[in-house]
Amino acid sequence: SMLSTPSKQFDLRTYWTTLIGEINQKLDEAIPIAYPERIYEAMRYSVLAKGAKRAPPVMCVAACELFGGHRHAAFPTACALEMVHAASLIHDDLPSMDDDLVRRGRPTNHAVFGVDMAVLAGDALFPLGFEHIVSQTPPELVPETRLLRVIAEIARAVGSTGMAAGQFLDLEGDASVEFVQEKKFGEMAECSAVCGGLLGGAEDEEIERLRKYGRAVGVLYQVVDDVLEAKSKRERGEVWSKRSKSYAGVFGIDRALEWAQELRSKAIAQLDGLERHGDRVTPLYSFVDHAMYRGFVVGGDQTATVVDQDASTSQA
Amino acid sequence: ETEEEAQEATFNFKAYLLQKANSVNKALDKAVSLKDPIKIHEAMRYSLLAGGKRVRPILCIAACELVGGLESMAMPSACAVEMIHTMSLIHDDLPCMDNDDLRRGKPTNHKVFGEDVAILAGDALLAFAFEHIATATIGVPPSKIIRVVGELARVIGSEGLVAGQVVDIGSTGLSDVGLEELEFIHLHKTAALLEGSVVIGAIAGGGSDEQIEKLRKFARCIGLLFQVVDDILDVTKSSQELGKTAGKDLLADKTTYPKLMGLEKSREFAEELRKEALDQLSEFDPNKAAPLISLTNYIAFRQN
Repeated sequence: SMLSTPSKQFDLRTYWTTLIGEINQKLDEAIPIAYPERIYEAMRYSVLAKGAKRAPPVMCVAACELFGGHRHAAFPTACALEMVHAASLIHDDLPSMDDDLVRRGRPTNHAVFGVDMAVLAGDALFPLGFEHIVSQTPPELVPETRLLRVIAEIARAVGSTGMAAGQFLDLEGDASVEFVQEKKFGEMAECSAVCGGLLGGAEDEEIERLRKYGRAVGVLYQVVDDVLEAKSKRERGEVWSKRSKSYAGVFGIDRALEWAQELRSKAIAQLDGLERHGDRVTPLYSFVDHAMYRGFVVGGDQTATVVDQDASTSQA
Repeated sequence: ETEEEAQEATFNFKAYLLQKANSVNKALDKAVSLKDPIKIHEAMRYSLLAGGKRVRPILCIAACELVGGLESMAMPSACAVEMIHTMSLIHDDLPCMDNDDLRRGKPTNHKVFGEDVAILAGDALLAFAFEHIATATIGVPPSKIIRVVGELARVIGSEGLVAGQVVDIGSTGLSDVGLEELEFIHLHKTAALLEGSVVIGAIAGGGSDEQIEKLRKFARCIGLLFQVVDDILDVTKSSQELGKTAGKDLLADKTTYPKLMGLEKSREFAEELRKEALDQLSEFDPNKAAPLISLTNYIAFRQN
């Protein structure tokens, strides 16, 4: 059975927990409350949500360290990823968009602060991310040209051909579910891995590997999330009713699991090409395992359910 | 004064504005092309290319040229400030904010494309502004481009533009808004982006720290000046002369400078701001400063 987790995952848990602690602290410091207080409270509410898994920033740091970069080179960008990600999610939840009142078990930003403040909190978090990178990245650790590439990469990922496109296509409903999921969920992970690689000084060919790896892992997380949700709904006898597209919802659990296996293989194949970096690649492998099997609890990850036998048996 | 007037006589301000607005429009059209998904890019272009005086990008380019830079060095930054300005207008017009149906005589973005697309188009313009600066700026050292990014990010976020909008929303309908709060709103909602436009132009053009700070002060003055004059015009001009509903602020019970300090004192305040703005330009080459001097006088003496 694949249910037993490889030994390396124990280290990984420490690796993640340590990083999450540091990132949470840095995020807390990055958004001090000032006048007008309400906007800072709204920004903090979403960015500092308790129990956040911080997958984008951890992936960014891990990718930076893979190439021998110092983690301090990656922290400001790691925090910025959380800020722009939070901004995207706040806007996606708005009544005119997905109209969600609950995210990760708590009321969404507009449910607490009002729609106007939620729009503005998002509008403020995007630039704060860029400002944070520029003002906090130690210049002795990261050459300016690399930093500019990081800024461009993040802007592209959240922009009109990235996550904004994904959200639009999801609302419109014409595009394929695979394409929508890549844009909505693959972009953030892709961007996180690529930014980490850029900060760590990766070669262009390695950046391309990280790009494909990140994209596959991001979608993998979502596909497995959807499978877990579909299963629990099935057990409770509920009908799949989520407005946004889910692969499991559209094609059924079995095909979703097959797709998950494909994504897993894709991600691992990219990492195999980075083996010259030795053990430092381990944390990146662990994302794939965690996405697939949820074999350990990270942060406030309450859905630590292992994808059951269907997943493990089909993985030959 | 006489020297300034002489300066303006030899400098064709109207032609300057037209020529600069024209290059900015061309650059914007090229920067935001129609691509997939078409509808988002249509929405972005709809508001971005809807006309407008291009005051912010022109300020950006003028500041760049004033410190000895070339127009091309500031153009991506100039386009970026217009993208941000457009984005803030799109979001400001939303039903959950000011709920406006018309902007510059055209239906607002959400009226044409829907609220969801309007929000996304705004977000995309914001993101693209930074991407454009980072990838399209040529002939400027990377360290300065980084500084431009930081400056722009600061003035449009919770310390700048957004702060102004938040306080504005909080004060709407209140009768006891004081002068300090009114100034906070305008300094952040209007002046911050004007300041950013001027400052990033000066950075991109290679200005010294001293020059950049002088121009920052200049921009703050004209930002406030712009608002004071706007308030005065709203009281003193007819709708026809303004091209928009006069007395709208009074009807909406908005706090204005004439309401708080009276018309005469508002006029004096405007004149003080104009002089202070021009003072900041006094040590620059008067020929090179001509566009900004003219812009200041234009803002101060405009009749609509």
